[in-house]
This record gives sequence, C-alpha cells and structure tokens, in this order.
Amino acid sequence: MEQLIKDLKLQIKEVLNLEELSLEDFDTDAPLFGDEGIGLDSIDVLEIIVLLEKEYGIRLANPKEGKAIFKSVRTIAEYVQQNRKK
Amino acid sequence: MDITVAGYGIICAIGNDATAVLASLKAGRTGIGPMRYLQSSHKELPVGEVKLSNAEMLRMLGQDESAIVSRTALMGAIAIRQALQHAHLDTKGKRIVVINGTTVGGMDVTERFLRQMREDDGLLPLLEKHDCGSSTRQMADLAGLGDAEVCTVSTACSSAVNAIILGSEMLKAGEADVVIAGGTEALSRFHLNGFNSLMILDKEPCRPFDRNRAGLNLGEGAAYVVLTHSLVKSEELRVKNKSNNLECEDNSDSSLFTLNSSLYICGYGNRCDAFHQTASSEDGEGAYLAMCDALQMAGLRPADIHYINAHGTGTPNNDASESAAIRRVFGQKIPPVSSTKGFTGHTTSACGAIETVISILALQHQFLPVNLGWKEQDEACIRPYDNSILLNSTFKDSSLKAVLCNSFGFGGNDSALVIGSLPRPSQEEEQPMERHRACTLAEAVVTDTEQLSELREFVTAGEARRMSRLMKAATLSSMQALRKAGVECPDAIITATAYGMLETSAKFLTDMLENGEETLSPTLFMQSTHNTLSSAIAIRLRCHGYNMTYSQGSDSLRWALRDATRLIETGRARTVLVGLHDEATPSFQDFCRRLGKPVPPMLFSRSVVLGRSTCDESVYHV
Repeated sequence: MEQLIKDLKLQIKEVLNLEELSLEDFDTDAPLFGDEGIGLDSIDVLEIIVLLEKEYGIRLANPKEGKAIFKSVRTIAEYVQQNRKK
Repeated sequence: MDITVAGYGIICAIGNDATAVLASLKAGRTGIGPMRYLQSSHKELPVGEVKLSNAEMLRMLGQDESAIVSRTALMGAIAIRQALQHAHLDTKGKRIVVINGTTVGGMDVTERFLRQMREDDGLLPLLEKHDCGSSTRQMADLAGLGDAEVCTVSTACSSAVNAIILGSEMLKAGEADVVIAGGTEALSRFHLNGFNSLMILDKEPCRPFDRNRAGLNLGEGAAYVVLTHSLVKSEELRVKNKSNNLECEDNSDSSLFTLNSSLYICGYGNRCDAFHQTASSEDGEGAYLAMCDALQMAGLRPADIHYINAHGTGTPNNDASESAAIRRVFGQKIPPVSSTKGFTGHTTSACGAIETVISILALQHQFLPVNLGWKEQDEACIRPYDNSILLNSTFKDSSLKAVLCNSFGFGGNDSALVIGSLPRPSQEEEQPMERHRACTLAEAVVTDTEQLSELREFVTAGEARRMSRLMKAATLSSMQALRKAGVECPDAIITATAYGMLETSAKFLTDMLENGEETLSPTLFMQSTHNTLSSAIAIRLRCHGYNMTYSQGSDSLRWALRDATRLIETGRARTVLVGLHDEATPSFQDFCRRLGKPVPPMLFSRSVVLGRSTCDESVYHV
C-alpha cells in the first residue's frame, strides 16, 4: 500500500504537472479538490481517470463515479488496490 | 442597412440539400446512427454523418474520384455550389468574399496519412491542405470560386455564426458586394477522441434539455448563406429572365425554395463567457450578452422572437447554462425553443450555419423544428418544443417572422443571430457614426522560450501548469502589451494564427496514432482549438467583449487587424488586443523543409493594443 501511494503521488504530480508540489508536502489524506487542499479541478479528474486506465487498467465510465474515489490520494490507492487489472 | 439572404446551401446528416433537410425536419427523422464512414475504433458512439462517401462527393463536384481531399473541403464546396445556384446572382465584376468557419480543416486526411507522410514525399503535399486557411482555399476553388477572397474564422463551435457576423460587417462597411458565409466540418478521429476524453459524448442518441441527457453526438456537414447589402441590391444582382429556383435535385419541388419573400440577418452578437475553457458559466453570462446584443441590433424586444434555435448540445452543462441565459433574456415568456442537434448531431464549427439554414427553412415554411430526444423536464432547463406538443405545427397566418439562433464554442465564444422576414423596424434614421482612427498604443513580442520565465509576474505556478508553450507566450505578450498601454481589460480580443495550437494538437494526434484511441489526454485536446488563445486571455481578464480568431495562413494578421480597425473606427471598441501567435515543432519544421517551404520559427507571439488615435500620427498600417 505504501508503495502504491508513493507511485500514485509521482504519477499524479507528473500527469498534472504539479511542479511546485514536493512529494513531502503531498499529504496522503489532503483533499485533492476544492480550495482547502491540493486545489485540483474537473479537468484534473479526467486526467486522473486516464491515468488509472493507463497504469492500472481501471475504466471509469462516468466522472461522477469518481467523486468518492478521488477524495484524496489514500482513497484513490484503496480503490486501485481493489480494482486494478494490472 | 439590412443584410439580405439571397440564397443558401446545406449538407448534413439529415439530407444532402435543402429539400431533403426540410423533409427530414418535418418528418422528425434523425440522421444520427451507427458510424459508417469514419474509421474509428469507437463504434459504440453514434454519429451524424453525411450519407456520402468521399468518392461520391468528388463525383458530385466533377472531380477525379480517387483524389485525396478532405471531407471538410468537399462538403463545403457542395454546400457553396448549392447556395450560389440558389441565389442566382450575377456576380461578374463583383467583389466576392468567402468566409468560412472551421476548426479541424483537413484533419481527416492528415490523421489517415501522417505516418506515411513521415517517409513518403509523394504524400507530403497533403499536409499543405491541412490548416484551416488552406482547407478553405481548396474548398472555394472546388466550388468554382478560385478568384474570390477567402477568410477562415475559427472560434470552435461558434465559428460559422461568427463567419456570418463577419460577412455582415464587411457588407455594411462596403468591403464586399457578395459574401458567402457559413462553415464546414468533417468528422475526424481527432476531435471524436477529443470530445470523448472530455467525457461529454453520449453513447445513446443525444437528448438536449432532457433531465437524463448525458452528452452530445458528433455530426458533420456544411452550410452557407449568400449575403448581399439590401433587398434592392440583391434584386439588382439577381440574374434576370431565369427562374431563381434551387436546382440541385431533379425531384425537388423547387417552388418551395424560391426566395419570394426576403430574409434578413437582422442582428447579431459576439461575446465571451470568460469563464472556463470547456465549461459554460452557471448563469450563461456570455450567451446572455450575445442574445441581448443581437436583439438590440435587430431593434426587437424579446417578445418579437417567435422561435429560438438553441445551441442545445445535450451536455448537462451547456443546456443548463443556455437555459439560464434564455430565462434571463425572456423571463416568463419564452418562445418555442428547440435544439436541432438531435437531427444533425453536433456539427461543431459548421453548426451555426447549419442551424441558420434550418431557421431560414422554418421561416420560409412556417413550421417549428422539434427537439428530438426530449422526454423529461429538468428543473434546470427550459422545456423545449417537442413531439408531444405538436409535430409539424404550421403557422396559418405567417406569424413566424423572427428567429434567434444561438451558437456557443469552447472557451465561451458565444454568438447569436437574429434572422427575420422583416427588415429592421425603421427606428430613428441611422445616425452617421462618429468615425475614429485606430492607432497602436503598445506592443510586445515573445520569440524565445527563455522569455517565458517572465510569465511568473502575471500567472501563478498553479495556473501555468496546464498551459502549453504557445499559450504561455501569447499570455505573456498580451499582458505585457496591455500593461504598456495602460489597459486593464480591452473591449475586444482578436487572435490571428496560421496553425494554431500546433504542439498540443501534434502531441494528441501522435499519441492517438501510436497508442490507439483509448487513453488520450483531455488537457491536450482542450488546448487544441485555435480559439483557445483568445478565450484564455479573456478568461484571465474577465473580458466579456467581442472575441474572435482568424486562421487564414499568412493573411491571418491582416484579417485580424482589419476587424480591429473596423471596431475602433465605428466606435464599438475603444481598445482592442490583437495577437499574432504561432509555433512550430521539430517535425513540422522538417515537413516544411522537405516541401521546400519557408521554415516557420519555433515560437512567435506578438501582441498589439490598438486604440483611438488622438492625432493623425501613428496610425497602424496593416
């Protein structure tokens, strides 16, 4: 799990081009969306959906399904662990 | 001064000419269905294709059937020929201008042959027809208008309405005698996958304004209107001793289409929502302003509009936002509204012209096109005119006199037209406008990627993370020029670009060709349309004013400056931000070398702020 969390952070940082966010500051439980946490938006959701398909073979048909999954890096990691195809 | 519609032509999923389109509209027959001509792996997505192969279209145009020509140019040429035949004008010695709305241009050909072009010099010339400007030139040539001046407007899905607006402006300014304006767009794997990456395509037939709507279906097609100055002018121009009937199909009942009553482009508005690159604002500010401008120019009150042909794509966001804007303009008394995208699919850059011609057919034949696919009321949406009200209802007393036609694009490029069977109500005599002179207030140039670090002064790292190189350069030169000019928010923003967002488009295209049609980046696609630059700057500045993008090769800047000068001279803008933004990639430069063409620089961005001249000096020279 810890390795998966680390991988996900690196992948998210790269695909969303979050240059200024260091891995140390990338809190596993910080909210990804909204003003409080990392501050991602709806386009980022779409990019993360592509990432999950590319890296883990997980296909989300509806971005709305992602709401609960994409709360934080930890919730994504839990979802990936249960649903990954690769 | 009134702008008269002297003729029109149309080809789309519900028919290859106006006769067939009218029949389908009246019968409530959709043209959306399984994919047949587009070679995509996404067979699950229904599309609104024109029911002709490229070879069939080439034959219709009297060309060699084996020629490789983009469907964009082919459909456009067919629709223009119909429009010219319909208008039957004597164009000898007249200044004719073709104004075309397109975004994908020759993409359908490029995506088929790009990989071979890397090796094969014989196929390489196909790339010369790829960009919007070349595609428009080729289309005009195929339509028999080799001598006509051409211009491409590229504001994504509102391109064609903006082409009609530009045509009307040129006629009013006396810059042309006859304008053929509209748009054309062929389905391509490129934009099908782009829309798919944004997750806004419905796997079912689209359901505009319905509570359960789940996205749009893409379509393709072309439509054009022939515009002239006024009724008198068009009567003078009309060929004498000949019937002015539509002659495209032997079996057509041509009397149905004779323009025995006049039709006018009564008013229009071009505004920017200035909210988000791929989403519309909740209150539909850009759409609201565009509709208000169109009504005001037409001299009409909301109650004078008898039918609204909505943009109505079927995405949850567009339809709610457009409904909010319509409610703001019309209050409790909303006239019948329908989206005809349930018939044609969303024909992107062509939709404004296709829906203008549909609106004209409604006016001529006194009927309301229904909103196919609608079943259940959504609180957030207007209730559209649908089958359950009355199919094929006919106005007994010719009471359908004015139609509002909406067309919105990515980046919030929102435009609206009022088309009517009555000329503008003669209000007060049009005052001769105070003429101003345009001059350069300031300019800034960015040509080196090293300069882009200066962007940090204007843009946070979070904002910059998604911006492509050209976007950064355009933003930087714009912000620097505006600061030098002391202008916070210009009245209008106009971009000129020959190739548009080349780097992001090439990345998306290459990824699609090499890795298939599954995991493509929405961030790349949303920065692929030419109007991305103008609209992103508008979003940054919260500029809801006129917003336009020209893509006509090396003429792009000339068109942009002409537009800006017109806006300033007629007093409609005090300040205009004009930018020329272009970029190259190493492989694009290599293609140019192999073609023996001048090699474009990797990055060039020049922004100019134009304003009113207070003296005779420093007038901007085009």
